[in-house]
This record gives sequence, C-alpha cells and structure tokens, in this order.
Amino acid sequence: MTPVLEIKGLEAGYGPLRVLHGIDLTVAEGERVGILGLNGHGKTTMLRAIVDLVDWRQGEILYDGESIMKAPTFALARRGVVLMPQGDALFPGLSIKDNLDSGAYPGGSWRKRKERRDYVCEIFPRLGERLNQVVGTLSGGERRMCSIGRGLMSEARLYLVDEPSLGLGPGIAKGICDTLMALDLQGGALLIAEQNRLLIDGRVDRTLRMHGGELTPDTGEDGVH
Amino acid sequence: MTGVLVTTINLTAIYALVALGISLTWAGLGFLNLSAGVMYAGAAYGAWLVSTEITTNVVVVLLGGILTGVLFGALICLTVFLPLDSKPNWEIRTLTATLALSFIGVNLYQWKFGPQFKQFEPLFSWLPQFRLGEALVKSTVTGTVIATAVIVTIVLIYLGSSRIGLGVRALTQSVEGAALVGINRRTSAFAILGVSGAFIGLAAVLLGQTFFVEPNSGYVPLIKGLIVALLGGLGSLRGAVIAAFMVALCEALTLQYFGGAWVLVTLFLLISIVLIIRPRGVAGVLETTRA
Repeated sequence: MTPVLEIKGLEAGYGPLRVLHGIDLTVAEGERVGILGLNGHGKTTMLRAIVDLVDWRQGEILYDGESIMKAPTFALARRGVVLMPQGDALFPGLSIKDNLDSGAYPGGSWRKRKERRDYVCEIFPRLGERLNQVVGTLSGGERRMCSIGRGLMSEARLYLVDEPSLGLGPGIAKGICDTLMALDLQGGALLIAEQNRLLIDGRVDRTLRMHGGELTPDTGEDGVH
Repeated sequence: MTGVLVTTINLTAIYALVALGISLTWAGLGFLNLSAGVMYAGAAYGAWLVSTEITTNVVVVLLGGILTGVLFGALICLTVFLPLDSKPNWEIRTLTATLALSFIGVNLYQWKFGPQFKQFEPLFSWLPQFRLGEALVKSTVTGTVIATAVIVTIVLIYLGSSRIGLGVRALTQSVEGAALVGINRRTSAFAILGVSGAFIGLAAVLLGQTFFVEPNSGYVPLIKGLIVALLGGLGSLRGAVIAAFMVALCEALTLQYFGGAWVLVTLFLLISIVLIIRPRGVAGVLETTRA
C-alpha cells in the first residue's frame, strides 16, 4: 500500500543555516506518529519543510506516492495536507466563525462548512459559545483550540500538528491532545511533534526522536520528559 | 451649519472610496499603490468615453468607470504584483513600480486625450434638489451619496459573506495563515486589485461631476486617499470610512470658517494629532493577539 507520506533524505534550513540533516520517514495510512525532541532540534522545521514553509529544502517528499517538492503551501492545503502550526497563524482581526470557516476554504469543503463548524463546536464547546468574538482577544488555550478547530474544518488526509501543548497549562494541553488522538483519521495519517513525552506516550503508533536535525528511533533516554 | 454637513457627507463618500481602494491593496497585498491616481484618471476617461460615445445612461456610465478601474487593477496585478511578489526589497520595488506606472499613465493620457479639460454630462440631473435647513442639496450630491452607499454596501456584504471575500479578509491578516488554509495569494490579488479599482473608478465618475477630467486629475485624489487611508489605519476598511468623515468634516469646517487657503494646514494638524494619539490610525487592524 502506498504510504500517505514518505520523506527521503530531507535537508532543510533557513538562509545559510542547515537545520535538518537527511531525514527519512514513512507514515502509513491510519498511522499516528509522534516526533519527540527538545526545543531547537528541528521538529518544527521538519513539519514546515513538508508544506514548503522553509527558506530551502532538498531531498524528496512524496504524498500519496507523488512528489510534492514543487507544490506551494496553498496547493498542499487544497490536497488535504493540514498543518496546525506553532503560534497558530490565525487571523487575529477576524471572528472565531470566520477563522473556522477559513479552514473550509478548499473547494469541496466550503459547501459543508456549517456541518464541519458544528462538529468543531461539539469538540470545543467554548468556541461555539463565542463564535462572533474576535480571535485576537482570546486566551492562548482558546486560540490553540481555534487553530486545531480550523484544521478540522477541511477533509484532510495528513494532519501535521506542531507542539499542541506549547505555552498551555497541563489540563488544557491534555484536553487538546485527547481531542487530537481521538480523531477519526479515515485512512489518513497524523504526525505530531511534541516535547512533552507524557502527552503522547502510548497514544501514538510509534515515536521517533528528533535530535540535532536527525531523526532516530526513540529509546526513551533522551532527556525528553 | 447644514451647508458644512452637506459638504462633509459629499466629500466623505468620495474620499472613502479612494481610501478604501488604497487601504484594501495595502492590507491584502502589502504594497502602497502609488498608481491609484492614474487608475482614477483612467477610470474617469473610461467613463467619459462611455458618456460621449455610447450613452449618458447613469448606470452604464457608472459601470464604465467601475469596469475601467477593475481593468486597471488587473493591469497593476499583471505588471507590478505578479512579477515582484516574494522578491527582495518588495516594498521599495512596488513603490517604485507603481510610481513609474503613474508617470507612464499621465504621459499616455497627455498623448491620447491632450491636456484639454473634459467635462461629464450631469449624471444625476434627474434627481430632485432640495433644501436642508439653509443649505441647498444639489442632485449631484444626492446621487454621489446614494451611488457610494449602494456600491460600498454591496462590496462589503460580498467581502463579508462569500468564500472569495473571506480569502481576501484572511490575506489582510496573515499571509502564512492564508496559505495554510489553501488561499492562493496570487489569484486573490486579482480580486483585491479589482475591488480596489472598482472603488477608485466609482470615485472618479462621482468626482468627475464636480471637477474636470485632465491627465493630472488623479494626483489630488491619490494624496487625499493616502491621507485618509493612513489616518484610518492602513488596512482597516472601517477606519477608512471613519477617517474619510474626519477629513471631510475638517475640510468643510475650514472652508466655512477660515477659507480654502487653510485646508492643508488644518488637515496637517488633524493628521498629526490623530497619529500622535493613535500611531496605528483611527481603527488600525488588530494585528497582534492578547498576551
């Protein structure tokens, strides 16, 4: 079976800085893969490199068997690759409703945006209670809910989640991770980067360790807790 | 005093249109369109050609101006935005390119239409004149206010409720966020510059009812539009309308009580005071989130 994502010898960075050093990774249909690592070791760069949000990248990235090395970010989103980034990348001056609806921008999803919005509001009732509130006035936890909710608005096939717990209290972080792990992937896949091992240990199919821009099997002895 | 009010409302409508065009381009695409003046004059010539060569029907002439503005928007997209997008020194390059387009446009108009002033047939003479207090509200003023209100309302409803409108609004907030949800900035640029061109084109026809059209007639609206857009908070559509009202009121009051020579002085004072108190303008878009 063709894997959802296949990365071969990926190198990427910013300007003269090489962050990733020959990453190889395969993610199969229905698989949840966790990437553990400390800050500054390349987890975010790897996820951003997949969606062409780095200065440069070399190697090969296949999505459903096709190379996406020349596909721009917006085209990947339309093909079902959804990045829930660190820092959220929401639209602060727009309402929660508009931010959620923007997640359904890719053609086919737009017609189903109301159903999808209801689905997201069921998962995160706090968003449903204040759909008209401007996102820039939300707390960090609410913004993260909105960012993840936006990612759930389209019919994605590959979810890339970048440190969902960053900057959040333990209770909210756990709640958000519970939601992500309960997602019905419907033949898709999920790649989650996290530095808090406790949030994903035993809840993903396998974990890998990102250290110094290299991806290695997780031994549980890397100082990541 | 009602005379001041009537002048204010009339000027608000026109300044708001030009400022909306400039502000939308800044917010959505991140460049200051210095060729807005040449768009303005081009749309005025377009509408004038329609009115002299085809028909003087008010709707057709207004559409002539609006569509010429949209075409200019597409032209700026093709000649400035697409070639320079994502290139180094983008801000300076786009400023230079739009300024160059502005000079080219003025010279082309000189060559094609000559320096003579062109005058529109009155478009709104069929509307009644009436008195508001001691002030006479001319049919041109009524027509300007109605046409502006109708077109701006239609466009704002479209931007607020359609998929493309959401794409445009999203782009005004975060380019990366927009790409992550599948919004193509390069194709959305046509929509943004098209809508900007439509606003400026409408302003050109409406102001053409009061002022003659000549090759340089876009410079004053460009400067006024920039002032209003800056005062309102570059990127804020609501701010552009509020600032248009402030500038129009300032001008109308100055004209009434001090005379035309003082307009630029009072305007300068108004801008200085507002920007000292609120550096991001009257209603600068909320660009950051709560800590």
